Amino acid sequence: MQKNRRHVIKSIGAAAASAIGAPYLNLAHAQGASIPIGVALPMTGNAGAYGPDMAEAAKRTAAKINAAGGVLGRKLELFIEDSESSAAVAANLSQKFINVHKAQALVGYWGTPEGMSSRPIAIQNKTVLMVSSAANAITEGDTQGYVWRFQMKATDWGIVISRATIDKLGFKSVGVMGLQNAFVLPIMKVFEEKMKAAGRTVVDSLIYNPEQPSYRAEVERVFGKKPDAVFCFGLLPDFVSIMKEVYRGGFDSKVVALSIMADAEGKFVQAVGPQVAEGIRHFQPMPDLAAPGYKRFLQLMGAPADRVYLFPPNTHDQLAIAALAMEKAKSPVAADWHKEIIAVGNGPGPQVDDIAEALKLVKAGKPVNFQGAGSTCDFTPNGDQIGRGMGQWIIKGGKSVFVEYAKP
Amino acid sequence: MISFLILMSIVVCFSAILALALNFQWGQGGMVNFGLTGFYALGAYAAALLMLKAGANTFFAALGAMAVVGVVCGLVALITLRVTEEDYFAIVTLGVGEMLRLLALNEDWLTKGALGLAGIPRPFGDSIAPDQYQYFLLGLSLALLFGTYAFLRLVTRSPFGRLVRAVREDDVVAATLGKNVLWARVRIFAIGGAIIGLAGSMHSIYYQYIDPTQFTNIVIAYAFMAVIAGGRGAHLGTILGAGVVMVLLEGSRFLKDAIPRLDSDQLSAIRIIIIGVGLIALLIWKPKGFFQEYRLKA
Repeated sequence: MQKNRRHVIKSIGAAAASAIGAPYLNLAHAQGASIPIGVALPMTGNAGAYGPDMAEAAKRTAAKINAAGGVLGRKLELFIEDSESSAAVAANLSQKFINVHKAQALVGYWGTPEGMSSRPIAIQNKTVLMVSSAANAITEGDTQGYVWRFQMKATDWGIVISRATIDKLGFKSVGVMGLQNAFVLPIMKVFEEKMKAAGRTVVDSLIYNPEQPSYRAEVERVFGKKPDAVFCFGLLPDFVSIMKEVYRGGFDSKVVALSIMADAEGKFVQAVGPQVAEGIRHFQPMPDLAAPGYKRFLQLMGAPADRVYLFPPNTHDQLAIAALAMEKAKSPVAADWHKEIIAVGNGPGPQVDDIAEALKLVKAGKPVNFQGAGSTCDFTPNGDQIGRGMGQWIIKGGKSVFVEYAKP
Repeated sequence: MISFLILMSIVVCFSAILALALNFQWGQGGMVNFGLTGFYALGAYAAALLMLKAGANTFFAALGAMAVVGVVCGLVALITLRVTEEDYFAIVTLGVGEMLRLLALNEDWLTKGALGLAGIPRPFGDSIAPDQYQYFLLGLSLALLFGTYAFLRLVTRSPFGRLVRAVREDDVVAATLGKNVLWARVRIFAIGGAIIGLAGSMHSIYYQYIDPTQFTNIVIAYAFMAVIAGGRGAHLGTILGAGVVMVLLEGSRFLKDAIPRLDSDQLSAIRIIIIGVGLIALLIWKPKGFFQEYRLKA
């Protein structure tokens, strides 16, 4: 028995040592001439649909930067990991990126929980955190210049959606259903305030919980009041359940949602069928499809000209801005280059939308105002992105038809 | 790398304390706790709120969290006095745990809802140099893990420890011998609850940010894995089990660095398979876990 127990412990010890020691096999590779960058993306979990394209964008952007001579003569080396759409996993990943790979930039971070849990880690370790999440709280308070948002702030989503509703959609009465989620609540608040200020009636406002087996009670409460339209703010899984209940109940109100709910890379129509999806309008912050930076990004991805990427352009811009700021600061250390983010994003300097060309200018000591694929890459001093707009679509015959693009 | 290993060791410590609590409640006492995530969240939120809103220091916040979770667990055991079947008790705990999780998500005025609580202070955060802090936190975590283990070892070998196992094996026999089974169950669940409160406090101190997404049912799965792999009822085995689960979870991330051809999305898919296969292999090879529970020798 004693011998057997020792044997078990030895085996476990060996397994643990090999798992833990594995990175040392590659350590020279990780810490040599390259500049390590941690990329945390949702490959699984409730946002798992978005990670793979963002990872592909990160790889192609890094390859383009490296082909253009890299940064400070060194190549970017990406460490892409699955954040599992979870705050705790993202925090552990951030620790791994910083302590194992010695990363000075943490990019990706799709959701608010991932961003919020990694924020104190980034600030304490003086490492730049670049997020794609919307909740206002990400950049609130003293971030010491280490937290940067590559996404429209949640309150701005509410401004654009309410303006389109008041000016163009003509709904006199609306109901609002929102998922209990950190980025949804500021959107709802602003939307309702603007609607009431414009003299429209908000017949009901309801916050629902995630992962319920059914939303029948919630749907009957809001849709039962027969508003002209019901605005739903949430995520794909809950919206699929909601729309099935709406269809079953035979309600007439128009439905307006976010594209991460009503499109989600085509997964919504696949889940409910074109008949249920017909006529749903959806909004989402998106790149300016007419911008040269976005067109160049489509070429980089090898995608057709009508392809709409919502989040991968943000990942491209995060890497591009990090590379430019490092090059401008002449240092890969975040404590040095985080101060140059506004200089390369906002200018002054000529507007350049190609990262290779922008790097060439910065290397030559010239100023540059980088225009990204997802936005114009302009920032406020506290790290919020300005210059990103919002798209509006309507589902017709199972396809999302583009309506308009607007900025806050 | 050393820093990362230290930080992951801290995570192992509070995961092991959580698993020890489950081992005491279920492994030794036979009270299945499927509401573990809810109680763990209660501990984390209680400690964080005591620090952020009541201005308590870490020590009193952790004590407060242990008291809160201990009392709530005791009450759950008390109100389910007629539910003596393991399966039914499990359903009750599942319901209570889910209720606690939904309270954390929806009571914005107290918990800030989905946004979560940020800026949770750490003990001696101002007086210890940032680069030395991880060593302090590891030392503290190891001390708490050892303290919890020593306490449970003492309890297991005490007359009460024998009562705990007797209630698990056959509560009718225990009652026939004059033991107050209801009171024993209340104490078992409350003691386990207090330990869950300690683990929750450590979670909030380590991450400095808590939100409802951190408390999903996967926490229960990992805790049960640790207890089953370690050997149901065996405290030392449970600690080892928690360590193995964490090595499988976090260590498997390094496969990509060792095998560069492995893609990140491929890895994320096969990681869970690796963990599952590892545990299945372990249970085939060692079906009773690493260690067996303490038995009084004649």
